[in-house]
Amino acid sequence: MELANTLSQDGESRGGVLAHLERLETQVSRSRKKMEEPQSAQAEESALGTRIHELRRLRDKLRAEVKQHQASVKASTTNVEPDQTLEITEQESLKRKWENVKAILQAYRFTGISGKLTSRGVCVCISTAFEGNLLDSYFVDLVMRKPLQIHHHSIPVFIPLEEISAKYLQTNIQHFLFTLCEYLNAYSGRKYQADRLQSDFEAFLAGPLQRNSLCNLLSFTYKAEPEGQSFPFCARLLYKDLTTTLPTDVTVTYQGSIFF
Amino acid sequence: MDETVSEFFRRTILKIPLTEMMTILKTWNFLSENQLQTVNFRQRKESLVQDLVLLCEENRASLNDAALLDIIYTQFHRHQKVWDVFQMSKGPGEDTDLFDMEQFKSSFKKILKRALKNVTVSFRDAEENAVWIRIAWGTQYRKPNQYKPAYVVYYSQTPYAFTSSSQLKSNLPLLGQALTIASKHHQIVKMDLRSRYLDSLKAIVFKQYNQIFETHNSTTPLQERSLGLDINMDSRIIHENKTEKERVQRVTQEIFGDYPQPRLEFAQYKLETKFKSDLNGGILAEREEPLRCLVKFSSPHLLEALKSLAPAGIADAPLSPLLTCIPNKGMNYFKIRDK
Repeated sequence: MELANTLSQDGESRGGVLAHLERLETQVSRSRKKMEEPQSAQAEESALGTRIHELRRLRDKLRAEVKQHQASVKASTTNVEPDQTLEITEQESLKRKWENVKAILQAYRFTGISGKLTSRGVCVCISTAFEGNLLDSYFVDLVMRKPLQIHHHSIPVFIPLEEISAKYLQTNIQHFLFTLCEYLNAYSGRKYQADRLQSDFEAFLAGPLQRNSLCNLLSFTYKAEPEGQSFPFCARLLYKDLTTTLPTDVTVTYQGSIFF
Repeated sequence: MDETVSEFFRRTILKIPLTEMMTILKTWNFLSENQLQTVNFRQRKESLVQDLVLLCEENRASLNDAALLDIIYTQFHRHQKVWDVFQMSKGPGEDTDLFDMEQFKSSFKKILKRALKNVTVSFRDAEENAVWIRIAWGTQYRKPNQYKPAYVVYYSQTPYAFTSSSQLKSNLPLLGQALTIASKHHQIVKMDLRSRYLDSLKAIVFKQYNQIFETHNSTTPLQERSLGLDINMDSRIIHENKTEKERVQRVTQEIFGDYPQPRLEFAQYKLETKFKSDLNGGILAEREEPLRCLVKFSSPHLLEALKSLAPAGIADAPLSPLLTCIPNKGMNYFKIRDK
């Protein structure tokens, strides 16, 4: 369309593209003729030469300006530096603060109950301990909805989670978590004690330690001295209260007669 | 040693593949190291079995020892049996469960022996305070059949028991009764859950299949899950329907999670529904009786297969809740009726 416009502007309405190409061809042949003339070539040469000089002059001028600017920048770096370092220290202090907060969040597990917000709600971590020894951690992933639901968890199947949630989950979540914490800490403590008895007092045990999943019934035969002629005692420990780590009943027998 | 016991030994040891022979015998721990060293394990299997049976005779092995070996073999080959799941319940307000394994074992055995004079009951303790029970059933006049035993796996202080489908179904109520009373429960109910993979069944009923939790201590952030699309693969490849693919991945991940799925081989749906049609009239629409049909999905790993349906483009996401509720509800047998 542009082509048609240029044609009409020039007043020459002959043909279309082909006519235009013809004109371009004649232009080229004309310019070629010009270039073949040595005089015009020389003139052109000198023109280009002056152009080069000019450009070189301009380049040198710009170079000088750049150098000057750099020198002035260097001179005033003493004024500029504090701002830059201030930026760096701000960044560093923020980073340090962020890492500090992250570390505090990670250390929260030492309090026994900690949690992390999830897309659905919150994932609560119950970390158990006994007599200064850190033991297993258990998780409850809660979905924040009415009614509150447990999405999934790592509570062992023999801990009465359904009972505890039926009682407290909807009404008093704090009580729910504390009760669960009680049960889990007690279980972890009993398990730890049973494991220690089995491993550390192997020499005193006359047979295998009999236990159950909750570690609330322990039955074993032991000797007062690891070697020698001491008589074996049969001990039976019952933990009727699942929230404690101490037995509620202890029976020690010797050859069928009960001591206490 | 009794002829029948000797034969039982022979057939049990013959079952064991040669590659596992040493491991199983060591686990059994009945034949001493020295005795095992005297045996040539490179000979033909029949001769090896004969040598081992002779050793057992030397040690005066009893039926119980043979039963124990049978239990160990089954523990190594638990996938060869199909396992059912039973759920027990206690009455309300029960005292704390002071489970005594020895008391349970003797109570269980007593109940069975009282009902059936001819029965062989053997126990083997397992990890996580569980016990494997082997029961060989007989009748009042016939000795127990040692070649069709039933197995029960029970984790103490849990309401679940896993049993291998016994051919002798008539003894099931007695088995249930013995389990319930010995473990101090009141009721027992068979769950609609069955599979060869005992460990998967345990994971489903104990709710142990999803053990991924978000904590502040985890080093791998959950957001960096690969969407499986590998968008940075090659700039010359253009992914059409990228948003749809991402949506499908997200929905699948929400339903199935990032954890390995428990292994089941099938899901069965028994439909008893009346015919529903948009068109008025038609022969089936006037039918009063419900239509009965059975739909069964089978796979070497059903839940992983279901998980890959939507991303593969074979099904729409989200999948029908009838399929996705399987591990949550602990069922893979469904009866669907009109409400």
